[in-house]
Amino acid sequence: MTFDWSVVWQHREALAIGTATTVLLTVATMLIAVPCGIIVAVARLYAWAPVRAAATAYVELFRNLPLILVVYWAFYVLPIMTGLGLSPLATGLAALALNVTAYNAETFRAGINSIRRGQVEAAMALGMSRAQALRRVVVPQALRRILPVFASTWVSLFKDTSLVSVIAVSELAYVAMQIRAQTYRVLEMLTAMAAIYWLLGYPQAKLVDWIQRKYAVTE
Amino acid sequence: MDFNFAVITDHWRFLVGGVGVTLLLAVLSGVTSLAAGLVIALLRLYGPRWLRPVVIFYIDSMRAIPVLVVLVWTFFALPIVAGITMPPFYAALLGLTVHLAAYAAEIVRAGIESIRPGQTRAAVALGMSPAQVLRRILLPQAIVRMLPAFGSLLSVTIKDTAIASVIAVTEFMRQSETVAGQSFQPIEVYTFAMLVYFLILFPVTRGVEHVYRRVAHLGRS
Repeated sequence: MTFDWSVVWQHREALAIGTATTVLLTVATMLIAVPCGIIVAVARLYAWAPVRAAATAYVELFRNLPLILVVYWAFYVLPIMTGLGLSPLATGLAALALNVTAYNAETFRAGINSIRRGQVEAAMALGMSRAQALRRVVVPQALRRILPVFASTWVSLFKDTSLVSVIAVSELAYVAMQIRAQTYRVLEMLTAMAAIYWLLGYPQAKLVDWIQRKYAVTE
Repeated sequence: MDFNFAVITDHWRFLVGGVGVTLLLAVLSGVTSLAAGLVIALLRLYGPRWLRPVVIFYIDSMRAIPVLVVLVWTFFALPIVAGITMPPFYAALLGLTVHLAAYAAEIVRAGIESIRPGQTRAAVALGMSPAQVLRRILLPQAIVRMLPAFGSLLSVTIKDTAIASVIAVTEFMRQSETVAGQSFQPIEVYTFAMLVYFLILFPVTRGVEHVYRRVAHLGRS
């Protein structure tokens, strides 16, 4: 067996662009999925019953589907539903956002529910309105509890961006597998791909552990 | 837009075969990763000191690398290094196990560590050996506490089997892709696939919650 690792260095620019796309996808998805997740969570908790049911159905559906299927589905269905010719990147972003929004909504809902009802009652007894009680008492505490879960979701999302490679979004996994197909340096490219994901993901996993230790709920 | 779901009934045998492979792969990799996870967690907690950093490194690495990358590496690169060629199904089983065992190990460790140390000390004071403490005191309580986490791991496992379609395992996702490609009716096929996955996964998540509510009191201490 002879391995030629120079192939990795030769394609450093393509790999760097792929890595940047992976990071960009992660950040962009979260930027969409946090506000949308808050909206869905609030809809599930406080909205008019039919809206609440729709929000619950959405969350349960997308939490119970493999992401790779959502990616394919978005690729074929979104252009027809919206009538727009979306780029693979936009389609991949939409699929990831649909998925992560459902998870975030569940996280936010659980966070708000984890604050004992008595606290809202006490705040209202002190003369706060329900909105004030929510904003000043519930949300600040809920945020601290959400943070560890949110951090795990972040790392999962970072890894899940690799799945949009199946619809030819040129992120890290797709780029590495393209180079593999062109050069036939299978082991070298796949190992390089794994190594780059590891380099980016390992510190994130460690950070999650730290956040979970720091913000562990103790009652 | 016209939808023609006849494509599903025309290929139902092919698709049902895929569901069978999905379930088989999920159950097998669920069992193997659970067993491997238990061993890894015990090594991390009670193994020789030099082994612990190795185990921690393995667990954290698996948490950092996408399962797609693990599967593709196992199927395409491992045969080059190890000189053995595996059929896709076994490569997927191996890849999923290597990946999910790390998560299972973390669940087992968290479960065991959640039992107050006082119980271990009490058991040791009563003359039990470390193995007895584990088997009689820690695991019976810890296993109940691990249930919800194992439930979500099981649903993750089922979802991850869909990624095995990338290495040509003929599970349901792959069969759906094939039917969608041949019939030129991706919308019908993928919408049907969503329904099938939901019908598999939703009862699993709900079922585990239900079982846990019935047995949760056994894990209290």
